[in-house]
Amino acid sequence: MPKDKFFKEIANKTHPNEKLVATHCSYCGMQCGMNLRVDTSSNKIIGVEPRYDWPVTLGKMCPKGVTAYQQTNHKDRLLRPLIRDDASKKGTKEGFREASWEEALDLIERRFKELQAKHGKDTLSVFSGVSMTNEKCYLTGKFARLALQTRYIDYNGRFCMSSAAAGFLRTFGVDRGSTLPWTDLHETDCLFIAGSNTAECHPTSMFRIWEVQNRGGYLIVVDPRETPLARRADIHLDLRPGTDLALANCMVNLIIQNGHADKSFVESHTNGFQELLEVVKEFTPEYTSEITGVAPEKLIRAAEIYGKAPEAVVMFARGIEQQHKGADNVSAYTNMALVTGKIGRPKSGVATFTGQGNGQGGREHGQKSDLLPGYRKITNPKHVEEICEVWGLDPEEMPGPGVSAYEMFELMEQKTIRGLYLLCSNPVVSAPNVNYVRAVMKDLDFMVCSDIYLSESAEYADVVLPTTTWAEDEGTVTNLEGRIIKINKAQEPVGESKPDWQIEIEIAERLGRGKYFSHLKTAKDISDEFRLATKGGYADYYGATWEKIDRQHGVFWPCKDEADPGTPHMFLDKQFYHPDGKAKLCALPYRPPAEEPCETYPLRLTTGRVVYHYLSGNQTRRIPFLRDMCPEPYVEVHPETAAAYGIAHEEVVRLHTRRGEMSCKVKVTEAIRPDTVFVPYHFGHDDSVNLLTIPALDPMSRMPEFKACAAQINKLESASSPLTKATGG
Amino acid sequence: MKQHLYIEMDNCIGCRSCLAACTQCGGHDERNRNYVYDVNPLVDRQTIPLMCLHCVNPACARSCPAQAIQVTEEGAVLSALVEKCIGCQNCTIACPYGIPKFDEEQNLMYKCDLCYDRTKEGIPPMCASVCPTNTLQWLTEEELAAKKAQHQMGKWTASRDFLDPLEGETNVKISLPGIIQGKQKLFV
Repeated sequence: MPKDKFFKEIANKTHPNEKLVATHCSYCGMQCGMNLRVDTSSNKIIGVEPRYDWPVTLGKMCPKGVTAYQQTNHKDRLLRPLIRDDASKKGTKEGFREASWEEALDLIERRFKELQAKHGKDTLSVFSGVSMTNEKCYLTGKFARLALQTRYIDYNGRFCMSSAAAGFLRTFGVDRGSTLPWTDLHETDCLFIAGSNTAECHPTSMFRIWEVQNRGGYLIVVDPRETPLARRADIHLDLRPGTDLALANCMVNLIIQNGHADKSFVESHTNGFQELLEVVKEFTPEYTSEITGVAPEKLIRAAEIYGKAPEAVVMFARGIEQQHKGADNVSAYTNMALVTGKIGRPKSGVATFTGQGNGQGGREHGQKSDLLPGYRKITNPKHVEEICEVWGLDPEEMPGPGVSAYEMFELMEQKTIRGLYLLCSNPVVSAPNVNYVRAVMKDLDFMVCSDIYLSESAEYADVVLPTTTWAEDEGTVTNLEGRIIKINKAQEPVGESKPDWQIEIEIAERLGRGKYFSHLKTAKDISDEFRLATKGGYADYYGATWEKIDRQHGVFWPCKDEADPGTPHMFLDKQFYHPDGKAKLCALPYRPPAEEPCETYPLRLTTGRVVYHYLSGNQTRRIPFLRDMCPEPYVEVHPETAAAYGIAHEEVVRLHTRRGEMSCKVKVTEAIRPDTVFVPYHFGHDDSVNLLTIPALDPMSRMPEFKACAAQINKLESASSPLTKATGG
Repeated sequence: MKQHLYIEMDNCIGCRSCLAACTQCGGHDERNRNYVYDVNPLVDRQTIPLMCLHCVNPACARSCPAQAIQVTEEGAVLSALVEKCIGCQNCTIACPYGIPKFDEEQNLMYKCDLCYDRTKEGIPPMCASVCPTNTLQWLTEEELAAKKAQHQMGKWTASRDFLDPLEGETNVKISLPGIIQGKQKLFV
């Protein structure tokens, strides 16, 4: 890949008695390049230096990235396994005692065997995450299917990327989050960004986004809030939360009416145009304005600009995806690119801002309830056979498909699932409707949690295992471009902590399944088996060796063999991944949010992120700089709404929905719709806005609707009013 | 080759990465020396950074009775010398931008030194290195000249001339908010 206009040759700053370890950030899908500073006498990580030669981010980092190094030698690190003998203390930090690995693994072995002997293999479950390497994600899928022999594995990508995955699979027949490399973005002529608070969630994209405007291009932003991105947009489509599908249909309708459809592209490379036309034609600017609350003239102008732009990129994120029609929103916005033919070439295409560090790679290789490595389907006998050949398994032994993340909690309530192995995730903060999630986790027969710190979810565990930070292990991650990159080890694990892959192998051996695992001695061993397992799948990593990743500054999948440099741009040959090579234009009738405002719950509650925190905050809330900048949740309220309720800036109020309640301070701002309130979700215990959110799942992606539910706001003295009592709980 | 810190305020997203990064510079004792302001917090999300502008004739140094504030040949106005600073805080009053900070315990002024241990080696300051938005940039003379042609900096910048309410020429150059207003569009 050629260097782009922002690239500068800059020497690394070196410090005496230190070495630099080139790696990437532990947090979001940007995977910014960074150099960790390691003291050569203590061999400990002590700081960070920019990695100026990383082509995507050029040394840039957000405040999370700058302070990420502080996680590894943090005072809160778990150094030894913890066991809790008194199950009545579950749901608290109390009752844990330090134990040896031997004792902890003995207990896990005994309890897992007991439960499975009594209730069958499927009584155990694995709930995983994608803030870890491809090697760990791959091995966790194998661990569930071969070591625990359970069908029940799923992961926190169900709360993150699953709608993008489902939408792209339906439209393109393949799910690579971006059809083009990020180094193209600043060269496009129009960015149409829906439901992405990019400035806070993927800040190091911003210099490329602003450059589009600096060149005279356009920025169109769809968001209920005037985020720092929307503040500078040429057009801000300030829609009601949960109404994206109408807006996207309107864009497509107007693009066609304006004569901006590329008829020959549509004819040659897509199916479904007539059906699409039938559905979108009712979405006039006026009708769409009624649903979305966006002024008709803004809708008209946005469609005109996108249609006229020589090159354009449609981008989106959790704002459109965390809805019970998230997959439909993804396909509907992607229709814009397909109808205009602005895809399958440099500087034009479609991209989702992947949330977690390995949100892309982690969803491709077998942690999802119905997937096997290489994006193979567990319901496809041919795919099962291919993986069984790599694993040396009789296909008859492959467990069937499980259920999605939130549905696993429902099976825990029904006692279909009695045991949980939780790693790399903190669902009592990040799942919707957490009152329910906490209750069922408390009631589990046995729970193991692997984490670097004692997370809120670890408080529900019987055994807590200390695992390593990203900087204490090595492996690959697939960033939001679909670029496979290398994470490097900067120091030895603290205390007795071990990488998750090693813990899983040790448990597998104790369960008598060592023959499938014991040959894997290092992360590199796992990488080699993992690449082989992806071979021939459409997320094919076989040619992405660690050596090639280093040499090329990453490798974009698919990368089929040694000679293949990888695929930075998807669909350059205009061939999509459906059997006939065509993309599917999806005709998607509008559906409102699952819960609309009513007399009792008159406001729309939407949730999201702040720049200072990552996911459930289990990591970032422990970093002094980040905690100081945003120590607690708040609710954003428009001044008109604040006046109507008689509440003031910084006043503590109580928020209620049909599922739960919380208190937090008010932040009065004109940068939100008067009918909408916003709370960031990174906080635990009583500060978790997911006490309030609704578990309405997308029928395709099983994504909960974090982005829209109905809420009421109360001054504190009226928090226990009869109205609240009658409707709470 | 002389390089300049250049600030394009309109780009700021308020992430405060510059503050976090400031603590990482070798000579900074893990204390940040710059500022990010919410311009109108009850209205919108506009923020602006403010770092030391490294005045050509710095009021802080002129006000110092102990000659504790040195100016390097590149024009970096350094933090007070520990052995000379008498803790009088004249500099904190003299500075038109409110930059110098004061450590009560050490009885010592500290301020942005333009990451002198980096910039003297031609490596950008930490704040400009990490800034995700290019609000803070480290530019050569030619790059700065291109910016001046583009953004009419003379008209906008706080460092225009002595008639400006903010006094004097500074080594750090600023484009105030408004750089994309009136920008010629690629198409209409």
